[in-house]
Amino acid sequence: MKKAIGLLSLFQLFFICLLAQSPLPPVDKSPMDMSYYPANYPVQKINDKITEPLAARVIYSRPQKAGRPIFGGLVKYGEIWRMGANEATEIEFYKNVRFGGKKISKGRYTLYAIANENSWTVIINKETDTWGSFKYDVKKDVARTQVAIQKTDTVAESLAMGFEKTTAGFNLIVAWDNVRASIPFIF
Amino acid sequence: MRATALPLLVSFLFFSCSNKEGNSDATANNSQKQDTAVAIKPDNSINSYAPVDVSPMDMSYFPVDYPIQKMSGSITTPPLARVVYSRPHLQGRNLFQDVLKYGEPWRLGANEATELHLYKDAIIQGKKIKAGRYTLYSIPEKDKWTIVLNTNIDSWGLHPDPSKDLARFIVTPNQTNNSIEYFTIIFQSTTTGANLLMAWGNVEIQLTVIF
Repeated sequence: MKKAIGLLSLFQLFFICLLAQSPLPPVDKSPMDMSYYPANYPVQKINDKITEPLAARVIYSRPQKAGRPIFGGLVKYGEIWRMGANEATEIEFYKNVRFGGKKISKGRYTLYAIANENSWTVIINKETDTWGSFKYDVKKDVARTQVAIQKTDTVAESLAMGFEKTTAGFNLIVAWDNVRASIPFIF
Repeated sequence: MRATALPLLVSFLFFSCSNKEGNSDATANNSQKQDTAVAIKPDNSINSYAPVDVSPMDMSYFPVDYPIQKMSGSITTPPLARVVYSRPHLQGRNLFQDVLKYGEPWRLGANEATELHLYKDAIIQGKKIKAGRYTLYSIPEKDKWTIVLNTNIDSWGLHPDPSKDLARFIVTPNQTNNSIEYFTIIFQSTTTGANLLMAWGNVEIQLTVIF
């Protein structure tokens, strides 16, 4: 009888243990985030204070510096960089824009960069819903452009992206560690 | 008997539990990891560009882990659905005393409105829904939840606009034994499509999606 009870509790404990291993995903250590142009469009929308029509949205994951040298270190110069973590960074245009002298039709794209010491080559690619840059295919590029980067005094611990208004359209600002890039898009 | 059974039980428990912890770094195996609920404390003082949100955003695809499967070549067909949502966490609060109120709309997330992207037409809870992007919100009650599919996309989760509701689904919540710290949405594969599973605290709700 005691044996039976022991066996029963063993199964119960095993079952509790299985429950503890929930199939649900944990929170990622590179959390995802989203930025709109115009900035804070969703908040503008619910407050009926839309400043201009929706033009772009970026969805990206935010790796942290965590004490590591980033550019020239974790992000190797001259190599394709996914500009994020996990799922490939996605940029969506809600209207046609110009980027690097080319017309980009509205739609969803992935965003990559090749970082160098003084400039980045920013790449818009049409292969969406993929992971990182591991299967990056240059044949699926839509456009590339080179942008100068700035070195900043402050350090951005987490990769950050946001949009700012320009006279001709908007810039996507990408910042991490002590580097800041402004990627221009023209209406 | 009892003296020998207890250490046996403990060691059995330890090994069966620790087994799956070993691969916790394998990103492709996310679904096996438990919700460790380590509170992310954003250090915003050193990131003036865009602070890291206390309710981080996340994304779930169907087929499950579609981007990884696409990258590894194990899938070549287009994705069927994706949810983009933010993940509030309990932080010691009681879901139905401190966070949600029965009968009041809840955005099924945080910050930007939770988004369901159907890449092809689907049947949700028996109702035909066209491919496209939608927002999701809910009205929780003790014995039933109303899950609402709305067409007001690119919006913030507060103040959903019921005049843009496309469909309302009434579902029965399940009570779970274990409490989920971070609000979670995933797709679970079924023979005809997927269940869209939403879980937080001790409540689990799901929508049946047929593709």
